[in-house]
Amino acid sequence: MSKTGKLFSWKKPYDTAGSDKLFVEAVAENVRHHIARCPAYRAILEEANFSPEELKTAEDLARLPVLPTLYLKRNRLLSVGEKKMLLKVTSSGTGGKKSLVGFDLKTLWRELKMVVRIANYHKLWSVRPTRYVILGYHPRRGQSLGAAKSAYGFTFFAPAMSRVYALEWADGEYRLDLGRIKRALEKYEKGHLPVRTMGFPAYTYFLLREMKEEGLKVRLPKGSLVCLGGGWKQFYAERVDKEAFYALTEEVLGVDRDHVVEFFGAVEHPILYTDCRAHHFHVPVYGRVIIRDVDTLAPLGYGKLGLVNLLTPAISSMPLTSVLTDDIGILHEEACPCGCTSPWLEIVGRVGVDLVTCAQGAEELLKGEV
Amino acid sequence: MILYRGKLYPDAMQGKLIGRLEGDLLDTLTSSPRLNAERVIAACDRMYRRAKEGKYDSLARPLLASFGISYARYADMVRAFSAEVLRYKCEIELGKDHTALPPLASGTRRSYVPLGVLLHVAAGNVDGLPAYSVAEGLLAGNINILKLPSGDSGLSVKLLSDLIEEDALLADYLYVFDVPSTETETLRRLAHLADGVVVWGGDAAQRAARDLADINTKIIPWGHKLSFAYATPAATDGQLRTLARHIAATEQLLCSSCQGIFYDGEDMGEVLSFGERFFGILQEESAARGPADPAMRGRNTVNLLCDRLEGNAERIFSGGGVSVVVKREPRLELSYTFRNIWVKPLSRHEIVRALKGQRGYLQTCGLLCGEGEREELAEMLLRAGIVRVTGGDLSRTFFGEAHDGTYPLREYMRIAEVDEG
Repeated sequence: MSKTGKLFSWKKPYDTAGSDKLFVEAVAENVRHHIARCPAYRAILEEANFSPEELKTAEDLARLPVLPTLYLKRNRLLSVGEKKMLLKVTSSGTGGKKSLVGFDLKTLWRELKMVVRIANYHKLWSVRPTRYVILGYHPRRGQSLGAAKSAYGFTFFAPAMSRVYALEWADGEYRLDLGRIKRALEKYEKGHLPVRTMGFPAYTYFLLREMKEEGLKVRLPKGSLVCLGGGWKQFYAERVDKEAFYALTEEVLGVDRDHVVEFFGAVEHPILYTDCRAHHFHVPVYGRVIIRDVDTLAPLGYGKLGLVNLLTPAISSMPLTSVLTDDIGILHEEACPCGCTSPWLEIVGRVGVDLVTCAQGAEELLKGEV
Repeated sequence: MILYRGKLYPDAMQGKLIGRLEGDLLDTLTSSPRLNAERVIAACDRMYRRAKEGKYDSLARPLLASFGISYARYADMVRAFSAEVLRYKCEIELGKDHTALPPLASGTRRSYVPLGVLLHVAAGNVDGLPAYSVAEGLLAGNINILKLPSGDSGLSVKLLSDLIEEDALLADYLYVFDVPSTETETLRRLAHLADGVVVWGGDAAQRAARDLADINTKIIPWGHKLSFAYATPAATDGQLRTLARHIAATEQLLCSSCQGIFYDGEDMGEVLSFGERFFGILQEESAARGPADPAMRGRNTVNLLCDRLEGNAERIFSGGGVSVVVKREPRLELSYTFRNIWVKPLSRHEIVRALKGQRGYLQTCGLLCGEGEREELAEMLLRAGIVRVTGGDLSRTFFGEAHDGTYPLREYMRIAEVDEG
């Protein structure tokens, strides 16, 4: 079995310390794979004078040249033929540029094993029929948006009794209808089946805030979950303090903070980060995080603010082994009350501030003006 | 919040009030005496005195802090509303004899008259600017309708209500609506009532305004502009240091902020060594000011890494939170801002050819050169479309100076001629 295959079969999903050696070997294997198949990537590593033989310990990972997500949006780097890409997903395209990432069968199989294990750890599997409320897009044939695909995939953690979507396709465009969601929530409150909401934190927040302003409060049945995914992205100006957010879910939906789960991942780094009960994003064995200096890109270690660099050997179709995101964050090593010993990533902000695209985009969508 | 004839109303009243607007405007135009500039100046001056006594300090301080502007500079800025400065502005823009223009040889009387009704479509990038735009409209004697920018802090309504408090006569000349830019039908109705539409903002805003206004309505565009520096081998370290200080101080966010330097020469080796020389000076001046926002530095670092990977530049000097990107093609473009600039070769004989395509976007050029060549180079820059030639501090402001190459008061007025009977 390949090193990467072994890594994705690792029993304990947060045993980063125990899996360090294997992770480094898997990264070296993955880099060699891409060097052999992707001339553009080979050229970048040669230019940087880097050889995968340099990868011996976890500290060496920082020497692997990073590719910015912005670069990946403008340049399509492939290590397999287009035909082998079974699934294609695009990022939500903050600022107009989108990444198109293709996954081959091998990659998809690893992803599935990872999701199963992470969901096990966080007890997300359930046999109880569940009503899903998706604060996002109703997937359509031929659509490649990553957010829509992962939200749909999420509805398989527990058998779906029903699914309602905030964004429905009608007359050639997606239309936001929060009224439909509110009516559904009011109906579900009277039933006994658990509800799971899933959506961008910003959309969820706008919904809750609107319900609160209208005096609309429901008590969702026991076992209901509020799930958040995708980060605040272009809605950074609307970002709210986590504590305020949990207070709102409790007040408006009757769902306490222990039943709010947040996911984090990126199309260019399809590793599932799930927050623990202390709401920390622990790094799973499948990936590693390096925080880099905002000026020099030098690795910074724990507790310091910098650019978030994500590493994984998961992808064989494209050289996404070490990507530099647009996120600014801190990697923490402090002990976590949840007992997990893997370090945790705190996303603090995003590079740049674009006043036109942040709050405005959300408000316009909410007013039905897009 | 709506301000209508001196009273505040909630936004829900918008439809009703706009329905009444045409009648009220025509009423003022028909029955009220012509608004006298001296009366507007007196009201502004009383407000200026209150500002000087600290009336607006609590409002101003957070804004000043967010733009890194000192209180002393603020005190100087509010002087724009003083009688002395406003009278000077009228004299510069309209001429010393603007209230009593001599007649033509034929005896025909001449006078400046207001356009009538101005609609100001304000931009949100500088708080308080919409109120200043309206004050200019008043000074020219117009009735002013202000469309607030989205996310307005309420400062404009506050300032204009205060102005009405200073002189109740102004109430009939001031209307403020908070119409979102997406409500095009409402905006079209407002534009239809106006003799002139004053538009602040970029290309999209300008295009939208042209589309909204009737063909017989005058558009006064205050669009986004680009500014740059032009340096010759004779540029001194002192001149470059002033430029570096300006770059760090404005973070290159103003229309007049320097986005890059054109260097008078064709030899890339010489351009590279100039870029490196300026990089050193920029690093020093940036350090003296303190670092820029980390989210902005991070953005620039990511952009520069992409440029390196894609081979977009001849050379990139970066470090200490600043960067100088040396490129070959003399294309005028935005920098990444926040202490990132480009350096490109552009010999003096090529200035007009290289910049002519950017007509209408050009504003200030910081000219860094020897005394003997200054006049010749300034002339070339003006021919290319630059409207203001400065030294290294491109954003310095003087009372009485033109706005993007024109005088607002003239834009807001007509010259009228009446024959003797």
